[in-house]
Amino acid sequence: MSERDQHLEQLREIVAEVLEMEPEEVADTADFVEEYEADSLRAIEILARIEKRYKVEIPQAELNEMRSLKAVHEVVARYAGWQD
Amino acid sequence: MRLDHAALRALLPHRYPMLLLDRVEDVEPGESLTGVKAVSGCEPCYRGIAEDQPADRYAYPASLLIESFGQGAAVLWLLSRRSGTAGLPMFTAARDVVLLHPVHPGDVVHHRVRLDQVVDGAAFASGSSWVGERRVAEFDSMMAVVRPVDAVAEPRD
Repeated sequence: MSERDQHLEQLREIVAEVLEMEPEEVADTADFVEEYEADSLRAIEILARIEKRYKVEIPQAELNEMRSLKAVHEVVARYAGWQD
Repeated sequence: MRLDHAALRALLPHRYPMLLLDRVEDVEPGESLTGVKAVSGCEPCYRGIAEDQPADRYAYPASLLIESFGQGAAVLWLLSRRSGTAGLPMFTAARDVVLLHPVHPGDVVHHRVRLDQVVDGAAFASGSSWVGERRVAEFDSMMAVVRPVDAVAEPRD
């Protein structure tokens, strides 16, 4: 598994836990709000868990961007310095 | 720093029968807090229970134990904020709470609360509750958000 895939799977687990879904149910590009009925509190919880897990600080302005697993990965990669 | 009941009332908006924290033994703002809740047979949750019930009927409700821990977390967060920050903490989610032993009237519960993270007006706390040397509950993640005081205040005539 490439590093990118590993990161994506870790993020999928975090998102699934917060949204109370199974990881395999979280699609890469599905919109959390429209498809999984997530609200702003869940978004903050996802952000908080990611910050804790990867010891990275993500500005709250990025919250609006983080609406799908793929988008979350892109934002986190930028701030965590991943070369994915 | 120790907070008596009067100091807690000045910080928390909760009142009878939902003020579920009696005292704070120790608090290090931004880090941790130890709060105390004494459970009594006079609690409203035991009102109206029929006679001759088994002992476990008097186990303190899990929902109230979690709320009590959450109030400890709220005090810790309120004391950790920068001065001039407005708004009240509202409890929004608890994850991976494990109840290990029931709490009964006569027990004095100590909540050991850690403030893990503050992100965008949301705070995350974790910790455990103890009766004497026995751990009665574990809290992996308790989340609260700030809401304006007006949004939660009781309307006044």
